[in-house]
Amino acid sequence: MRENHLKILQYVTGIGIFFLVGLHLLLMHLAKGDPEDWTSVAQRAASASWLAAYILILIFGIYHGLHGVRGLILEFSLPDRAVKVLNYSMLFVGIAVFGYAVYIPVHAF
Amino acid sequence: MEKITFKVQRYDPDKDKKPHIQVFTIPFKHGMTVLDGLIYIKENMDNTLSFRSSCRMGICGSCGMLINNLPMLACHTPIEELKKDTITVKSLPNFPIVRDLVADLSLLFAKHKSIKPYIIAPDMAEIEKPTAEFLQAQMQLEEFVQFAYCVKCGLCMAACPTMATDRHFLGPQPLAQAYRYSADRRDGGAKERFHETDTPHGIWLCHLAGACSEACPKGVDPALAMQLLKRAIISDSLRLRKKPVPPSVAPPQAEKKPRVAVPDFTIKQPGAKS
Amino acid sequence: MEATSKQKVPLPNRLGIVGWAWAGRYKIERYLYTLHRLTGFGLLAYVALHLVANGSRLWGEGSWESTLNFLSNPGFKVGEYLVMAAFIYHALNGGRLMLQHLGFTLGKPKPPIYPYVDSMRRRRPLTLVLLALIMGLAIYVLVAFVIYG
Repeated sequence: MRENHLKILQYVTGIGIFFLVGLHLLLMHLAKGDPEDWTSVAQRAASASWLAAYILILIFGIYHGLHGVRGLILEFSLPDRAVKVLNYSMLFVGIAVFGYAVYIPVHAF
Repeated sequence: MEKITFKVQRYDPDKDKKPHIQVFTIPFKHGMTVLDGLIYIKENMDNTLSFRSSCRMGICGSCGMLINNLPMLACHTPIEELKKDTITVKSLPNFPIVRDLVADLSLLFAKHKSIKPYIIAPDMAEIEKPTAEFLQAQMQLEEFVQFAYCVKCGLCMAACPTMATDRHFLGPQPLAQAYRYSADRRDGGAKERFHETDTPHGIWLCHLAGACSEACPKGVDPALAMQLLKRAIISDSLRLRKKPVPPSVAPPQAEKKPRVAVPDFTIKQPGAKS
Repeated sequence: MEATSKQKVPLPNRLGIVGWAWAGRYKIERYLYTLHRLTGFGLLAYVALHLVANGSRLWGEGSWESTLNFLSNPGFKVGEYLVMAAFIYHALNGGRLMLQHLGFTLGKPKPPIYPYVDSMRRRRPLTLVLLALIMGLAIYVLVAFVIYG
């Protein structure tokens, strides 16, 4: 995958996060009742649309965040071999975090 | 006569472990530039002061220095415009220091060379043995001519925040020149340059801080060139880029007028035989 | 004639990480870039904490309630507001960066005529309008936090 493909994904995930997280914030803060109450948490956990939204937010957010961190680390004059190690490390961290994070709503669903 | 204080960075590689500041107070005249001040110091106070300068009119790019915390050309910076009584002059940041105010620009030239800063025409035979000039409309020229004014002074590289940490980053000057040549309708080497610039230490480490355009003394606006390069690379990647039309040369002259005989301009001495 | 000194390696002179934060008398866009990095870090740190906090759900209602009690500390409320402000800034500035990276809103190249005006300076009014919008939203959110808790 060339760098420009990664950057295009960064833009797409950025737009996705803006809408999805924006919607998440609005719904959490403007909803009636207490969204942090266990009953409403359980209600959202049982909803397929909420689950799908959470999974999308996770995919977009983890990619966008880790790609940003990758860009930052690249600016420390990494040689080519270290760039490959960095790429695989970020991929591993991303999959691990996604695995842990997606387990929470899936387990509740 | 007014006086002005110069705080000049000094570094002698034979004696010093790190740079230090030396203070000079010089007489100030209206219209004096920072370079005039440095030349005065060298001629009258300390002839060991080392700095680069050449044209003294802002065209060669030799005298790039950090003046009052901004990269500028010393010859192009009137002291009055700085509006300070103390002028701090240091070597360009992000470039190694050879001595005093002399920076080592070899990495800049190496990176510039790596992006193939020359026309790569589809028909190289026409480049090597030209038959006529390439045709280029004024509008086509205006797409890139701004970026052709680069004098390779290195001020943009000194201003760039990514250059502060990454020595592999190509930098604003080479990337702007990569766009200058890729946007030139006479050129057919855009894909080769995209390949050189679409790398982990290439164009995507530009985060549009804009400092390069601010520092540029020739109005080249490397930040604009780099964003246009990103656009070109993405368009090419998504197959949205229009296929470039190969450049054409001027047609041969339809009518060739006879040569005008050159008059005999030799001065004849009076009385001499012709 | 013998050489009087050996060829010396030029002294490295990079600014380092300090160069990301402050490097000279540059204009606002240079520092918007620094703030974009800081807010990115802040949001990443928040996401990590958010995932850990939500992970307490796995152990049932009791664990969830005790996590919420811990997070109701005023320090965390201030942190939550800062995260909201960081999100507003990072998202809107990110939108500006995305448009400009793709060559939009920067204008066309023109032959430079002294005094030179670069594309960043030409578009500064738009940038300032965007900043005003960000600050307005951040103040609005702050007021909402103060009133509604």
